[in-house]
Amino acid sequence: MNSKNMLLKLLGLMMILGMLVTACSTPATTTATEVPAPADTEEPAATEETGFAPGTTLTYIASQNWVLDSEIELAKKFETETGVHVDFQIIPSDQYFNVLETKLEAGGEGIDIFGGQSGKTDIQLQLDVKKNAVPLTDEEWVSRMNPLSVEQISLDGVTYGLTIWDTIGGSWVVVYNKQMFADNGLSVPTTYAEFAAACQTLQDAGINPVYEPFADGWHHVLWFLEMGPVYEAATPGLADALNANKATFAGNPTMTTALTELKEMYDKGYFGEDALSNEFANTEAVMAEGKYAMTVNRFGLPSQINKAYPDVAEDNFGFFVIPLADNQIWNVNPAAPSKFIYSGSKNIEAAKAYFEFLTRPENLQFMLDNEAQFTMLNFEGVNAELTADQQGFIDTYKEQGTVYQTAVNYVNPQWMDVGQTLTAMFTGAVTPEDVLAETDQRRADMAISAGDEAWK
Amino acid sequence: MHRPTTGTRYYIPDDGKLKMKNKIYPFYFSAGAVLLYSLFMVLPGLLGFFLSFTDWNRYSSEINFIGFQNFALIFSKKNYWNSIINTVIFTVVTIGLKTLFALILALLLTKGLKRFFNFHRAIIYLPSIIPMIVVGIVFKSILHPSSGVLNEFLRGMGLDFMAQKWLTNPDLALYSVALVDTWKGVGFIMVILIAGILVIPVEYYEAAQIDGANQWDELWNITLPLLMPTLTVTTVLNLLYGLKVFDVVWVLTNGGPGYATETVYTLVFKEFSKGRYGVSTALSTLLFVIMSICGYWLIKMMHSNELEA
Repeated sequence: MNSKNMLLKLLGLMMILGMLVTACSTPATTTATEVPAPADTEEPAATEETGFAPGTTLTYIASQNWVLDSEIELAKKFETETGVHVDFQIIPSDQYFNVLETKLEAGGEGIDIFGGQSGKTDIQLQLDVKKNAVPLTDEEWVSRMNPLSVEQISLDGVTYGLTIWDTIGGSWVVVYNKQMFADNGLSVPTTYAEFAAACQTLQDAGINPVYEPFADGWHHVLWFLEMGPVYEAATPGLADALNANKATFAGNPTMTTALTELKEMYDKGYFGEDALSNEFANTEAVMAEGKYAMTVNRFGLPSQINKAYPDVAEDNFGFFVIPLADNQIWNVNPAAPSKFIYSGSKNIEAAKAYFEFLTRPENLQFMLDNEAQFTMLNFEGVNAELTADQQGFIDTYKEQGTVYQTAVNYVNPQWMDVGQTLTAMFTGAVTPEDVLAETDQRRADMAISAGDEAWK
Repeated sequence: MHRPTTGTRYYIPDDGKLKMKNKIYPFYFSAGAVLLYSLFMVLPGLLGFFLSFTDWNRYSSEINFIGFQNFALIFSKKNYWNSIINTVIFTVVTIGLKTLFALILALLLTKGLKRFFNFHRAIIYLPSIIPMIVVGIVFKSILHPSSGVLNEFLRGMGLDFMAQKWLTNPDLALYSVALVDTWKGVGFIMVILIAGILVIPVEYYEAAQIDGANQWDELWNITLPLLMPTLTVTTVLNLLYGLKVFDVVWVLTNGGPGYATETVYTLVFKEFSKGRYGVSTALSTLLFVIMSICGYWLIKMMHSNELEA
């Protein structure tokens, strides 16, 4: 009798546990496709035509500033056309990769599309696209994407993502207020000495020379890694030597010079008194209000300023390359924010359809026409119109070079760490030499973990 | 009638004498909880302890035992040491500030204010229920060096020399973060202390007053000694919270400027996101050991004080 009771109780316990497990696991297995269709009489018709389940939602996770307003507009059109809703989840840039990697480690957590920086090292090490992304080599639009962009988003001949960005006009350059320069008798600097002298003149005139948004943690790294072309020019073959583990950042005289000059700019207050609290989102406002004379940004900034502040003319801003270490080479980065379809997604076909929709020539043209920050796009068949200042820059800087976060392996994945070390350098906690040595150390850690032959 | 089929039949009540207990619940009443606890708490803990001795990382599918290499790395690098020191400073500062302010407020709201004390208790407790991300956004704005309310106020009062770069000066940032955390956490500690004060029998105070004790005498000789068990609880809570602090640092400074406010758990998060899981778990294990030692030592010390009192 006792043993029978015991058996019954144990069975009861197992049933309760079974129900608990079922209850706990149900939400995890519920996908967006299983969400009941909203009570909309038009949607079923649309979905019948496209073949997607009613109420299909694509969850797209991306870093702040990567999802363009024009893309959100296009996503609405895509929904009208196919019935597939795109749910944008925008994460603050300083936390994005932590969040993404945690989600990917946890099995995706409902992601269908994720954003990531292209570039061979990044897509291999940071995003592990062979495991996490759906191959897209056979998609029609791949043939229309700029070959440099395709190269940076492919591994072993397989294309894993879609890059729609201004990879040429998207270079990070110094955008300067022409009126302020003219008022103070300044011309475009061609050496660091001239640049520092211009900053001093502006500071003496009561104008903050350079707006640098340190608070975001990523922007000030541009001053160091976008200088790749000048490092390469001083030591030809340096990027290859670094990738082969036959050279180091530490001890490189050009890099040390660039960082020492950057520290000098900070120490002299050229970035303003409260530089470490400056945020990237305020760039347009402070430049429009004339609080700062220069900032590092892309060719599209003047247009963005004009759009937000119509009183400020677009042609009031000119461009020149970052002149640390006397750089006069145009820094180009073929890698850019890109989109990948998560391999564990339940909506792969819908995501492919979304990519196909975005890359239609008329939609690409819509993005270019409506994104003030873009001057051209990395796709065939899109017409770009350059301003006189943009054309002037292109005519001035004939020589181009690739930035080091793309040219050198294991650099871009440590971007935020470099930013943290650079901030420590500004506050005096570490030296420029320490910044370079720590960059080497992090590269070695990643390379060894990845089993890179050059580090064995 | 019912007899337990297994499990302990003995327990030690408050008087310290071993007694036999006949009526206890059968073991399988707790089986579900024990199973879930073992599965989700004990097993991951033990796994974490084991993984801290491996080179587990995102870039390789192999996991190799590497002995104490992760710990050697932690103790050999300035940044890791720095994060441990910051964590200890943060913990000590927040324990001191929260206990002091919570005690003052608890005394004020039990023995000082006679009206609207429940309203004041609710107001002071309110920050505890505000999400940390909101606290971060609000205080980043308040503490902004040029446009923040705090510095504007100080400048308005002619106290320009006191207007500081609260979150971007590496010498100040950690203390600013600790102050914000104190603001948020003091209400919670206050509520516990109020409960502790209210259970002290009023007869003790009446007897002391008959003997001519003033309010200071009552505080030192009645309230504080009898509040010691409650203070032990709040101090241990503050200690454990302080040592594993993450959210307030993350939302206010992200560990910066530079490494000025980096704590062990922000570093654990960063190492994890870099894919260096072995180092990350080693840091967690190290913090677990520190927390165990500190917690044990603290409870023992405060209990001995309590007995002496």
